[in-house]
Amino acid sequence: MSRKLIPWLLLAAPLVAQDARQIIEEVQRRQRSESQHYEGTLEVTGGGNRIATKRWTFDRIGSFGSSKSILRFTVPAEVKGVGLLIVNHPERASDQWMWRPAIGREQRIALQDRSTRFFGTDFSFEDLEERDVAQFDFKLLGDEGGVWKVESTPRKSSQYTRSFLWVKKENYTIVKVESYNKKGLLRAIDYRDFEQVKGIWTARTTEIQDVPRNSRTTLKYDKLEYNIPLKDADFTLDALRRGT
Amino acid sequence: MMLLRLISWPYARKHLLRWLLTLTGIVLGVGVFVGMHTANQSVLAAFHETIDRIAGTTQLQVTAGEPGFDEVVLEKVQALAEVRAAAPVIEATVGTDTGNVLILGVDMLGDRSLRTYDFEGTDAAIDDPLVFLAQADSLIVTRTFADKNGLKLNSRVPMKTMQGDLVFTVRGIMKPGGLASAFGGDLAVMDIYAAQKFFGRGRKFDRVDLALADGVTLEQGAAKLRTALGPGFEVEPPSSRGDQFEQTSRAYTLGSNITSVFALFIGMFIIYNTFAIAVTQRRAEIGILRALGATRAQIRTLFLAESAVAGIAGSSLGVLFGIALARGMSGYIGGMLSEVYGVAQHSGELELDPWLLGGALAMGVVTSLFAAVIPARAAASVDPVKALQKGRNQALTERENRVRRWWALVCATAAGVALLLSNNSVMFYAGFVLSVIASVLLAPTLTLWLSHALRPVLSALRPVEGTLAADSLIQGPRRTSGTVAALMLSLALVVSLGGLSRSSFASLSEWMTTALNPDLFVTTGETLTSRTFVFPALLGEGLRKIPGVAELQMVRSVRVTVRNAPVMILAIDVESLEKRTGMRPLEGDVRTMYKQVARGEGVLISENFAHLRGAKLGEVLEIPAPTGMLRLPVAGIVRDYSDQQGSVLMSRERFIQAWNDDSVNIFRIYLQPGADEAAVRQRILDAYGKTQRLFVLTNSEVRQYVTRLTDQWFGLTYIQIAVAVLVAMLGIVNALTVSITDRRRELGVLQAVGGLRQQIRHTVWMEAVAIGFIGIVLGLALGAVELYYALGIARRDMIGIDIGYSYPVGVAAALAPVILIAAFLAAIGPAESAVRGSLVEALEYE
Repeated sequence: MSRKLIPWLLLAAPLVAQDARQIIEEVQRRQRSESQHYEGTLEVTGGGNRIATKRWTFDRIGSFGSSKSILRFTVPAEVKGVGLLIVNHPERASDQWMWRPAIGREQRIALQDRSTRFFGTDFSFEDLEERDVAQFDFKLLGDEGGVWKVESTPRKSSQYTRSFLWVKKENYTIVKVESYNKKGLLRAIDYRDFEQVKGIWTARTTEIQDVPRNSRTTLKYDKLEYNIPLKDADFTLDALRRGT
Repeated sequence: MMLLRLISWPYARKHLLRWLLTLTGIVLGVGVFVGMHTANQSVLAAFHETIDRIAGTTQLQVTAGEPGFDEVVLEKVQALAEVRAAAPVIEATVGTDTGNVLILGVDMLGDRSLRTYDFEGTDAAIDDPLVFLAQADSLIVTRTFADKNGLKLNSRVPMKTMQGDLVFTVRGIMKPGGLASAFGGDLAVMDIYAAQKFFGRGRKFDRVDLALADGVTLEQGAAKLRTALGPGFEVEPPSSRGDQFEQTSRAYTLGSNITSVFALFIGMFIIYNTFAIAVTQRRAEIGILRALGATRAQIRTLFLAESAVAGIAGSSLGVLFGIALARGMSGYIGGMLSEVYGVAQHSGELELDPWLLGGALAMGVVTSLFAAVIPARAAASVDPVKALQKGRNQALTERENRVRRWWALVCATAAGVALLLSNNSVMFYAGFVLSVIASVLLAPTLTLWLSHALRPVLSALRPVEGTLAADSLIQGPRRTSGTVAALMLSLALVVSLGGLSRSSFASLSEWMTTALNPDLFVTTGETLTSRTFVFPALLGEGLRKIPGVAELQMVRSVRVTVRNAPVMILAIDVESLEKRTGMRPLEGDVRTMYKQVARGEGVLISENFAHLRGAKLGEVLEIPAPTGMLRLPVAGIVRDYSDQQGSVLMSRERFIQAWNDDSVNIFRIYLQPGADEAAVRQRILDAYGKTQRLFVLTNSEVRQYVTRLTDQWFGLTYIQIAVAVLVAMLGIVNALTVSITDRRRELGVLQAVGGLRQQIRHTVWMEAVAIGFIGIVLGLALGAVELYYALGIARRDMIGIDIGYSYPVGVAAALAPVILIAAFLAAIGPAESAVRGSLVEALEYE
């Protein structure tokens, strides 16, 4: 997955980071782009090792707390056209709408439902938000041989009580995240297969594990591009309904 | 115990038939009471259980009557800090090939925070959540429903929707238990937005279920929600839905309670009578025991023990019989309540209330004991010599008669006073009870008088047999009067309910002629009461263009809580209604009231609403609507039978404005002069029948439907009547059996001096028919009084409509031969027993 799918982790910072907030801000600065497009392949491995495969296209305009994204499923045929519009806000949780072509209407995803699994994957709707760095408190826990371990605590409503982030010192990329709720470890995310795309270090594979359910989802990115020409008008409810 | 074994057991064996009759009386008395109540409770309990199971962890529900409310309300609820989770719900009962299924439309994203969906399969989730949401035809069914219909994942399920018959796909199966057990397992879950589409709900929800944030009490949460949403919304715990249905169906519950208590009363009377006769009849035996040294206490204990044994045995069997009866009736009651109230009912397992069963058992035993106490005490205290004298105790002394008459006069006077003060409900019901007591107290005297009056008639018919039969009645009023009283009560019940039914039909028919006068009715279901589906208003424009259609009225009927009761709001084009029906008001100015309502400046209320809710002409009625509280004056009071709890008629425009809902339940169509009804009906079906769930009913079909519904309503009453009459018949058999036993010597002498067996038979038959005749006379007379009270109860507490008094002459005329034939049939056995007995034994008797 593009790190836009775990965007509250993508936060900019001054060049030399010594404390946790500075580290995360530097991560965000290095990841910044005006827009993004990719085609993702999702493999959900559920109980009994059954694997379900789906594909979507993802477009984003703007970055971090003020970005807008549209995600549309393309495969399999039964789900083709189902879309999700995310409008992020720097000071609060995002607005999200799902488009369902079969009934010809959009559905608002309520804030209380953001912890719900995203269409049977191991992501939750909240995981798709971009949250501004100001919405978290950070604490540097240690230096583990080329990797910083940072604890982040959300200041506003979230299903997570805290998360641990592992940031690679070499290129300020996040390689692993563990998110907890009151009961314990809820999700673990690994970012792999990094490569530079238009100067931005990007993971080409993201694996997320829902620990209580013991299921995992792998997302691979194809045709990934940054800073392509996209219009604001393509990130509205009308655009979501149009399916363009 | 020894006395029971040595005295009672041989007696019971020797008089097995009589004991069986006594037991049958107890069984029927207890059984009908248990059966009616258990069946009612089971249907209501199943409804409550469905609500509970569907509610899951829901703490509060937001509703706005049947029309539901706009989606935006959900966001308002979810925005409150006091609310932890809120999920919208739509419920619809839909027909499938194998019967009705309750469709629960939910938002699968958030609903799991309130309800537990325990799915089958290793994934422990619906087959593919994305496919489920992406495909509008997705359905989750229960294992019960799947097994019943042979379904598995990806099976196809045809269902009747607003868009016609559609096929849905099973994309998940729930394990039995919890939610999956609601509505007897005939439950399916669908995405709420798909449900809106298929059931024509627009962008509305039926309700919002919610759970409160930690630390917020129900009262705090409800208060906050009420403030945030305004007066048009109700915020109550899920259990209140069940209470609301009970309130809606209270007329039925009250009616069935009254009749079953009455049946119980008759049963108790029979039990008392049979015991009193049995004890009295054994006075000679008591005399022998006393002469042999038995103490009074022993005699008393013996008879009380006997009655206790009979009471326990009969009541136990009665409870079992009642349970069997309830099993047979609960399905019928569920179906009837669904049709009458338009709220789907599912009769699940029988709800056996230990208190009810224990109470019924105790009632049977106590009645039996009570029946034995007075005669046993009297028998124990009597002089042994007198006790050995035949027949003395069958006659009522003049003093006894006088005392009874005085008491009857006191009760009748009190009933008259109560009647004068009958504005007060307590006085009204007291008057009813007192009038019944007065008639029961008068029964022996009247029986005696009528027996005297009948003597010359019977003698004229058959000089010997007729005279003997009449004398037997005159000499044994104690034996006869109990049976006559039971018969009188049964027949009075038949007459009053028959009269109520007949009067209701007459009033209903008059209303149908005036108000239900369109030529065609276009509805969303075969039943007019079902409000699961609604039409879009746009369909009305299309229907108006159908050749042959002269005028069309759009009706929206929804149940809304007004003055703490769920009443029916009828939104209609009032000017058209005035023009076409010209319904005359019971109160109000016909020249102005329709115009006032048409302008949206008032409402018409039904007569029953006015009675039941105490509403008056000109008074301002507060009607909660999602846009706020409507305050409209009552412009007129009309007779309307649309709903038992009453109806409020308002202009369609005002309704649309207040509820933001322009959907339609029924299109009332008037045809152009000369237009062919069948042809127009076919044109409508051709134009819309394939794309729309739509039924076109003719005027006569609607009338038949209403009549059938009324028949169903009275159907259970007829069952109770049948049982009551059966109980009374048993009383006749018992009385005759005792009579013959009493007169064995007399009948033996008659045979010894040359009397023919046929003459004996005739004597017994005539006695039976005479009892039947006296019962009929008294029953029809008391029925006239009871009918008055039944109409009063109906008006005051059941349907609120002033139904005119009309004595059911036809019912009375039909009853007379039925009872006389039944009395004759009841006499055949005892008569044969009288002629087949040994003459020597008969002469040796006593």
